[in-house]
Amino acid sequence: MYRSLFTILSARNTRQGLWGLPLLVALLISLWLTVQTTEFATAENLFNLVAQAMPLIIAAIGQLVVVLIGGLDLSVGSVISFTTAVLALGQPAIVLIPSVFLLAALIGLINGLAITRFNVHPIIATLSTQYIVLGITRILRPVSGGTVPEAVIGAVSGSLLGIPYPLFWGIVVILVAWKLLYGSRYGLHLFAIGGGIASGTESAARNFGVSDRRNIILAYVICSCFAAVAGVFLAGRIVSGDPNVGLLFELDTVTAVALGGTQLSGGIGSLHGTVIGALVMALLANGMNLANVSPFVQTAIKGGILLAVVGLQSRKKMGL
Amino acid sequence: MTNLIEMSHISKAFGGSRALHAVSLDLKAGTVHALMGENGAGKSTLMKILAGVHRPDSGEIFMNGEKLDLKSPRDALDAGISTVFQEHSLLPNLSIAENMFLGREPMTRLGSIDYRAMNRQSAKALGELGLTLEPTQLVSNLTIAERQFVEIAHCIQADASVLILDEPTAALNAADVDVLNRNIRRLRDKGKAIVYISHRMEEIFELCDTVTVLKDGALVGTRMVSEITTDELIAMMVGRELQDLFPVRMGEKGDEILRVENLKITETSRPLSLTLHRGEIVALAGLEGQGQQRFLRSLIGRYHPFAGTISINGKTLKMPLPTSAGVRRLQQLRVGFVPEDRKEEGLFLSLPVAHNIAIGLHSRRSELALARSYRSVIARMMDAMNIKAAGPSAPVGSLSGGNQQKVLLGRYLAADLDLLLVEEPTRGVDIGAKSEIYHLLRDFTRKGGAVLVLSRETIELIGLCDHIYVVHDGTIVADMPAAQATEHKILDAALMGGSMRQH
Repeated sequence: MYRSLFTILSARNTRQGLWGLPLLVALLISLWLTVQTTEFATAENLFNLVAQAMPLIIAAIGQLVVVLIGGLDLSVGSVISFTTAVLALGQPAIVLIPSVFLLAALIGLINGLAITRFNVHPIIATLSTQYIVLGITRILRPVSGGTVPEAVIGAVSGSLLGIPYPLFWGIVVILVAWKLLYGSRYGLHLFAIGGGIASGTESAARNFGVSDRRNIILAYVICSCFAAVAGVFLAGRIVSGDPNVGLLFELDTVTAVALGGTQLSGGIGSLHGTVIGALVMALLANGMNLANVSPFVQTAIKGGILLAVVGLQSRKKMGL
Repeated sequence: MTNLIEMSHISKAFGGSRALHAVSLDLKAGTVHALMGENGAGKSTLMKILAGVHRPDSGEIFMNGEKLDLKSPRDALDAGISTVFQEHSLLPNLSIAENMFLGREPMTRLGSIDYRAMNRQSAKALGELGLTLEPTQLVSNLTIAERQFVEIAHCIQADASVLILDEPTAALNAADVDVLNRNIRRLRDKGKAIVYISHRMEEIFELCDTVTVLKDGALVGTRMVSEITTDELIAMMVGRELQDLFPVRMGEKGDEILRVENLKITETSRPLSLTLHRGEIVALAGLEGQGQQRFLRSLIGRYHPFAGTISINGKTLKMPLPTSAGVRRLQQLRVGFVPEDRKEEGLFLSLPVAHNIAIGLHSRRSELALARSYRSVIARMMDAMNIKAAGPSAPVGSLSGGNQQKVLLGRYLAADLDLLLVEEPTRGVDIGAKSEIYHLLRDFTRKGGAVLVLSRETIELIGLCDHIYVVHDGTIVADMPAAQATEHKILDAALMGGSMRQH
């Protein structure tokens, strides 16, 4: 027991990264909030917490897929806003839901092609699409408004057999991601490509016959689609389209991924770590709200966390 | 016996430089085929073509008489050709089993990776090599030797009929080499065709059936190992006339300019000392990766050796030198470093010739000093060096390889230095430019400078230099006046290591 705890905390013989530490942090924050405030440990607050955390968890999982291959996707925030704007176009859900995913996949495809075919740096490529998509979103819906189809609203409010819908959908998304990362060839190939890139031998995976280009493009498509799921979720919560709802999501997701012990250089990280990282972010926000910390200060604190976490990641974790 | 693999008239060029020219190679099942040649002779390129990493410009590959079209490493693997590359190619963040099955993972009926089957079969392949490694261990936790064996187990597991081993013993100690050789023989007896690239003579004679020698990208010949002696083999590898492209030597040398004392490249390597005088060109020879380059880069702080001191013009510095201050500090001591890769490390390809030369002059002045134009210095330099360019403002990238190399050298010659550290003075340069560069370096020493050269081309070292040190395993194992050196002697010392020490 002691030994396995040590293995988790030191992240030896594993490519999951340091996820034990953020778990400990999450538990400590929860404990502290339970003791310090009366509001925290109430069913209502916990429900709110999960509902608030869910879009971040979902989008961060998408970000994780891209980070594992040594990339970064800064367009997720715009994709989220864009999705809510499209959903508020006043068409039936049966038309809108497939459309948002097709559009998100298209954005991911553009990101992936720019990076693999035209050798644009991931940060620049996704920063460009972030602007492009943000512009289109503002054309569609300059200020928040419109109505989201009933079906979408219904899917994220209320509960089924005592399980709140947000939690239910969250679990579904996590299971899908689990299957993708740990139960499929593609998941292993993501780690392989990232491991090669992080250890400076970009052709390593290719020498094994693993197609890196196609897999990298697919990673960006998957990331955008997860962002679209988060967008659908948020649209259901706020009931309307909002060009600003995804603001700063790209940075929040990167922070959550890094906080969960995933190496931003690629090849090392975990799904559970990312979920924990996103939960820590939500707990911090929840705690700071309960403690009446100004939202501006909260943003600054989040930036500090990202800097600290990435600064503390040792670059040579891979033993090479 | 018929040939399992026939490579016929393979040619390949990278950019302008010819790596292989009409090389043919036949591999028979159940034999170990050695591939030999000096560094850069084209062995690795030939094998990378067989492994599907590079595509040949011309030539054909047949397997069992059928033409193979290898577009990617995947195609080669599917055809049953497995490679252990010189540079280790396992992925450190994957387990042994994951590495062994990457790209062809067994799947369960539910569409997941069948880890149980993967681990079981990996353990079996490792067991065949006599290894007891846990297949679930991450490769990053393994030693170099263990990784090497995992790569070989990977080939066994893939049930390849052709195995390419590119210097498999370079990182192994004697006991591990024994284990490896035993396994290679076992695979040979199972009817595999094995290509074995190595510089170690004893291994070739102990293990191989056939040997093919390449030189400068061309085929020298293929012989049965049982019908050839060590001397004959070395003669095949060397066999080239000394061309008349070198300037005459100086004869006398001046004051001491560089003294290196007890430099230990790594904690375990034996200490290395040498001195260099004004008027001298001194070479470090040896096989690739024996420490020559690390030695040279230690002097400029780009590599951090374990210990040692150097004195330059009487000023003593303690190693390791700080990375950031290295080159600059040395420049203040009138030492220039000419890196091996002019495109990556040396030149600013998109900038004009003039800027590329002037930067050597600028860098010795303080950061905030106003930049001078140096127009006349540059014009004089370009004229003296016979640099063929549209003018001083032509981008360096538009020049031929030889002229690029002259610009790079000109940067340091213009800067009025005393000592030049030159890696590969004439890599990828045509014969005429080579000769010009040799004369430029000799002229530099005639004016009282000194040059320390590192080159893969032994013939160049013999012709150009006054004195040659042969480096093996991080230390000097032989030194000889260049006038008495032969390629044979140098290769002998470089191959045999300490056993041939001479003074």
